[in-house]
Amino acid sequence: MFPTKSRTEAAVERFDWVSVTFLLGAVLLCYYLVPLLSLLFSQPPGTVIQRLSTPDVVSAATTSLTASLASVAIATLFGLPLAYWLARADGRVKTIVTALVVLPLVLPPIVSGMVLLTVVGPATALGQFAAANGLPLTRSTAGVVLAQTFVSSPFLVITAKAAFESVDRKLEYASHSLGKSRLTTFRRVTLPLAWQGILAGITLAFARAIGEFGATIMLAYYPRTMPVQIWVSFTTLGLDNAFPVAVILVGIAVTTLVVLNALGTNPLE
Amino acid sequence: MLELRSLSTTVGEFEFGPVDLTVGDEVLSVLGPSGSGKTTLLSLVAGIIDQDSGTISLHGSVLDGQSLQQRQTGLVFQDGALFPHMTARENIAYGASDPERVADLADLLEIADVLDRRPPALSGGERKRVALARTLAADPAVLLLDEPLSSLDAPIRRRLRRELPGLFASLDIPVIYVTHDQQTATAVGDRTAVFRDGAIEQVGSPASVINRPATRFVARFTGNENLFEAAPVDRVEDGAVVCVDDLRLQTTCPNPPETGGTVSIHPSRIRIHAQGAAVDAGCPNTASGTVDRWLHEGDRYRVAVDVADAPLTLTATIRPPRFDQLAVAVGSSVRVTIPPDSIHFIDQ
Repeated sequence: MFPTKSRTEAAVERFDWVSVTFLLGAVLLCYYLVPLLSLLFSQPPGTVIQRLSTPDVVSAATTSLTASLASVAIATLFGLPLAYWLARADGRVKTIVTALVVLPLVLPPIVSGMVLLTVVGPATALGQFAAANGLPLTRSTAGVVLAQTFVSSPFLVITAKAAFESVDRKLEYASHSLGKSRLTTFRRVTLPLAWQGILAGITLAFARAIGEFGATIMLAYYPRTMPVQIWVSFTTLGLDNAFPVAVILVGIAVTTLVVLNALGTNPLE
Repeated sequence: MLELRSLSTTVGEFEFGPVDLTVGDEVLSVLGPSGSGKTTLLSLVAGIIDQDSGTISLHGSVLDGQSLQQRQTGLVFQDGALFPHMTARENIAYGASDPERVADLADLLEIADVLDRRPPALSGGERKRVALARTLAADPAVLLLDEPLSSLDAPIRRRLRRELPGLFASLDIPVIYVTHDQQTATAVGDRTAVFRDGAIEQVGSPASVINRPATRFVARFTGNENLFEAAPVDRVEDGAVVCVDDLRLQTTCPNPPETGGTVSIHPSRIRIHAQGAAVDAGCPNTASGTVDRWLHEGDRYRVAVDVADAPLTLTATIRPPRFDQLAVAVGSSVRVTIPPDSIHFIDQ
């Protein structure tokens, strides 16, 4: 006698589970996409272009871009070594340091701003010293950079750490055994292999920095970044007035992703 | 000459050593099961891990405390550890002392046709050859190989097993070749060291390790199932007669333990003959038996024979032509001969 299956078992085998997962995920995709498209089509292109040329928007865009690039540069300069150390270290210290790196991610941004104010605020010793030497750390581009670096750098460190961890240590040992120094090994073996992951980290850090609002508004209401400008437009002139600036910010973020994507093959893959 | 003196370390729960070992300009094959300390030995010599105590010296100069890059130890990893973002040519040239060596080594190792491919596009055998070429291009003072033939198809493994000894001989440097495969260890090594639980169980020529195992572990690990309790019953001119169960065997062993002990007879030394056929002239140890089972092991057959006059089973290994010639089948009657010099009392 041939083995038989119940109708239920046969139906379960036929059921296309992959399509079901996609359909469920598509709900979330729509949740991302619909508001973005709604924002895009709520504004005639002419209005956006007109707002783009107004001095407050130009100033906010300049501040946002400059500060974001600076904060990502700082995060890369100090974050990459930390990420490499974390990827190669073992033991309890590594766990503690990793927790410390993740801390700014879980803190509400406004609390991050408050925390920073206790260290670099105008009433603190460091804040007064810096201001006396011509570099005020609040109500300045430096303040924006400090706030953005605090909230965005963990993205870079965590992502780059994972990228370094994915590089087989045997490859580094092989390079050393072939007479190459640690620096040469890092430059010619580790970095090229971890590069895509690092680029993903830079992309995420930049995206987080350019959208930063909570910590920035605590440290530097002026010069206004684009998120602050959106909030000011919204609270003073209404939602319609804030829309064009939001469209521009979304445009900058998408352009950044595309440019970074073009630099590597696909940093977010 | 590479010298290891009282070398020991601890890696997690695993304790290695103390190990004393000297490797001249020869190939030392290191044989042992997983977790016996073979790779730890290479890691210590290469400088990947530090020893807790002991000394490593090369041609008289102490390597302790030197980094990987200072040691000039060529290390070939089990999987090759080729740089995946570089072509085979770039991999070999990476640490090359002379760029012209890339082409020479590519010719020598027959990989000239694949130099422009990246590792994912190479076959397993090609990857191993590129890894070896990369290491040799850097002119190492010591060559360390970690199971370089593992995970290769049998034909490629056999071919490399034939070719490597000649290549190693031309290097004139100490070579440590780690493997868990007894056939490879004996085919490649000038000497063989058997490791167990982080310590050396036996060091010697491949023939001595196979035919005169120091311990039961070495005997079993080199594929020897013929371990029997034996007692001396008589002395003869060139040795002694021992009794294994009811089977009397003449040995060349001059001084067998008076109270008896364990004897080993390597399966490759036992010969099988068809019943009624002429057996080895001059061999005093013959017995009749019945084939209990046989097993094909790549390039040989392992045949178990139940001895007729004693309650014991002897295992012999024979080559395919002989196996076919004898028409071995389960239940068939055969005769076995055991050379006296193949019977060896082991210490433990």
